[in-house]
Amino acid sequence: MVSVLILTSITLPWIGAILVWAVGNNRPTLQHGIAVGFSLASGFMSASLFLYPSNEMALSIPIGGAFGNFTFVPDGLGVVLAAIAALIGSLAVIFSVDYMRGDRQLGRYYSMVLLFIGSMVGLVLTSNLLLMFVFWEMTALCSYALISFYNDDPKAVTGGIKALIMTQIGGIGLLFGALIAFSSFGSYDISIFLQKANTLPPALLSLTAFSFLVAAAAKSAQFPFQTWLPDAMEAPTPVSALIHAATMVNAGVYLLARFYPAFANVPGWTTAVVWVGVLSALLSAGMALVASDLKRVLAYSTVSQLGYMVYAIGVGGIFASQFHLLSHAVFKALLFLAAGAVIHSVGTRNMNDMGGLGKQMPFVRNVFLIGSLALAGLPFLNGFWSKELILEEGLAHGPLWAFIGMMMGAGLTACYTLKCVWMVFYGDQRTPLHGHDAGHFMKIALFILSIGALTSWVLVGPLGTLMELTLPFHSIKAHSTGEILIEVLTAPATLLALLVIASGFALWVWRNQLSRITDLMTGIAEGARRSFGFEEINTAIVKGTNSIAEFIRNTQTGILSVNILGILVGLVVLLVSIAVLSILGA
Amino acid sequence: MSIFTFAFISAAGLLMIGLYTLLVTRNLIKVVVALQILVKGVMLLLIAAGSASGQIALGQSMAITVIVADTIVAVIALSIAVIIRRKFGTLDLNAYTTLKR
Amino acid sequence: MLVYIILIVGLFVCAFQAIWAKRLIVSALWLAGTSALVAIFMYMMGATQIAVIELSVGAGLVTVLFVFAINITGDQALSAKPTIPQPIAWGIVLLAILLLGWLTLPYLNINIPGFQPTVLSKVLWEDRAVDVILQIVIIFTGILGVLGMLSEEKPRHKRKGEHH
Repeated sequence: MVSVLILTSITLPWIGAILVWAVGNNRPTLQHGIAVGFSLASGFMSASLFLYPSNEMALSIPIGGAFGNFTFVPDGLGVVLAAIAALIGSLAVIFSVDYMRGDRQLGRYYSMVLLFIGSMVGLVLTSNLLLMFVFWEMTALCSYALISFYNDDPKAVTGGIKALIMTQIGGIGLLFGALIAFSSFGSYDISIFLQKANTLPPALLSLTAFSFLVAAAAKSAQFPFQTWLPDAMEAPTPVSALIHAATMVNAGVYLLARFYPAFANVPGWTTAVVWVGVLSALLSAGMALVASDLKRVLAYSTVSQLGYMVYAIGVGGIFASQFHLLSHAVFKALLFLAAGAVIHSVGTRNMNDMGGLGKQMPFVRNVFLIGSLALAGLPFLNGFWSKELILEEGLAHGPLWAFIGMMMGAGLTACYTLKCVWMVFYGDQRTPLHGHDAGHFMKIALFILSIGALTSWVLVGPLGTLMELTLPFHSIKAHSTGEILIEVLTAPATLLALLVIASGFALWVWRNQLSRITDLMTGIAEGARRSFGFEEINTAIVKGTNSIAEFIRNTQTGILSVNILGILVGLVVLLVSIAVLSILGA
Repeated sequence: MSIFTFAFISAAGLLMIGLYTLLVTRNLIKVVVALQILVKGVMLLLIAAGSASGQIALGQSMAITVIVADTIVAVIALSIAVIIRRKFGTLDLNAYTTLKR
Repeated sequence: MLVYIILIVGLFVCAFQAIWAKRLIVSALWLAGTSALVAIFMYMMGATQIAVIELSVGAGLVTVLFVFAINITGDQALSAKPTIPQPIAWGIVLLAILLLGWLTLPYLNINIPGFQPTVLSKVLWEDRAVDVILQIVIIFTGILGVLGMLSEEKPRHKRKGEHH
């Protein structure tokens, strides 16, 4: 039963992708229908996996030879992320029915989105490191194809290539770890790796640990790779909501959480993880404060919240980080989709041109408000519980300077969130823009997500028991929902955090009175607008890769003789090395 | 020397001639001829291996597969040659490199 | 023994002439000769059924194909200079094949005892049934491909006719 569920939740979207392409762009209604149907089916299948959590391998496809078996395990970490990916994926597809109405290339769009949903579900459910790498690369491919979806816009194309190159650097780290696991233990299985990680020589283990950290940081747009995510906002907004807020960027956090027991004892690793988390959270919160493009603010905010999750893993709170992942996926998808509704109706992304749209779009304003209050961490919305849990873990197990930094981050979060809401929905209209409220499908998706933002914190108890049951290596202790609620409400960290959040709100509301302080910070603001110099580093990496590729292109002459010569030279090199090795060995 | 040694030598020779032609020729039809010679060498090797190890039926079945596949390759390659001759006007391989930057 | 040496020499001569011939039709005829000699070789090694098939397909069908194709495309023989200089080509081919032969020499364990002689039809249709099915698929795919390629001129003429 479980194996059928896993198989269908991965392959149904892929079948849907092929069908959407085959139906052709002449029948858009059919394409919309197929996409919504298959993604909803996959959502139901992966949500039903919650009924059968287990630690054992549920599905094993023997491939033979060096690849081992392609195994899938529905344990706590995987099932949560799979359900998030499939369910938010189907909501994003429902939203796209209105957003992409009238587009001429729906086939390409929907097939890439469905392919992505299938690969993401596969990535988190598999326990074979090589298969995880394959799915990792497939999600990167879909992300690139969707960022450059409007392929006659040069900014979109550059953004897509930049995202591809930066995340491929991470992919190399993951492949490296997979190969080390295979060569040391003879198997790609993750549970074997976690069991026997102590038997690796320390240098090799720390090399693997840091290369996994690089892979996770590149994929989740953490420090120092954080500039590809804002440039990826050229994608259509449902894609931004799905891939760059709720699912793909969580793959890095998932990787760190899954391999934490193996690497926790590597000297310096947890400190490095904490550094990465804190720096990402603070730097991107600063950049979000000065950004003027609506989607860029949300992108920086994603990086910042992912920094919180990474910080939680660094101090050892795996459960807190996964809980924040759940809350963040819900409210960030809500914010992106609502922003998409705004952008779709007024046609611009620049917040300086918006203002006073709340009167024209009341439904969108309300859901955006719910999402942003969840982001800021107001009590009784789901962001509050998860963020407080993280801060509590940080105070108890982590270094004090990191805790202070994350508190400042919480204040900055409140500040830029309020700024964003104010500039878009309240105040006077700066330029005459005509907005209409969201369409029906958009409203459905937004409504479901806002209910989620209000209530998803109720799941914390069952989530904890799920993880304790199925993750033997992580030593997670579960409490019921009530216990956690009381614990959070009475912790000193909560009070401090609420004070900081209130001061963040106050900073924005009284910004005119505090203008002297803000004038002092214009230097920092200018640096933040230029993303503190990281943009130059990333552009240099992309340019370097492109020039190497152009240089290698000269070997593709297209002449048969040269190609056959290449084959024969390769064969000779191979044979000579075999001969030399056999002589040396004998 | 048994017949199998002769078979290996002649198969090696056919392989050499086929590969050399692929490296040196500029005529599309000569390329197809070279592929045929290459495959005959491989077939000889298969039959020799099958016969030397006593499993001649297995060697013959593989050789049948190779013959069928390679004949179809020759058919398709020759029809491609016909069409290319119509479009480009020449059978010179170096004239087909139109996929430039 | 002498027969084997004659066979090998004949084989090499035919193959060389197939690639050195100036006219393409002569090249195709030498290829037919190569096929015939290979068929005889295979018969002498004991593969009787394959020898017959190779003779009829290699020396018959493929030669007819070549003759048709050469007639349609015209019998021009290019004497253009090769892209890669001939000494380098010879050198690398000799190196590759000789290395391959030298490396496989220890594994040429010619007399492996203990296998029962089997009948071709039984092995072909039972053990290698998947091979046969795939061959049928290949044949049909090839025919469809050729039909698709060689008939692509007609629809354009039809459309032009309708416009006029």
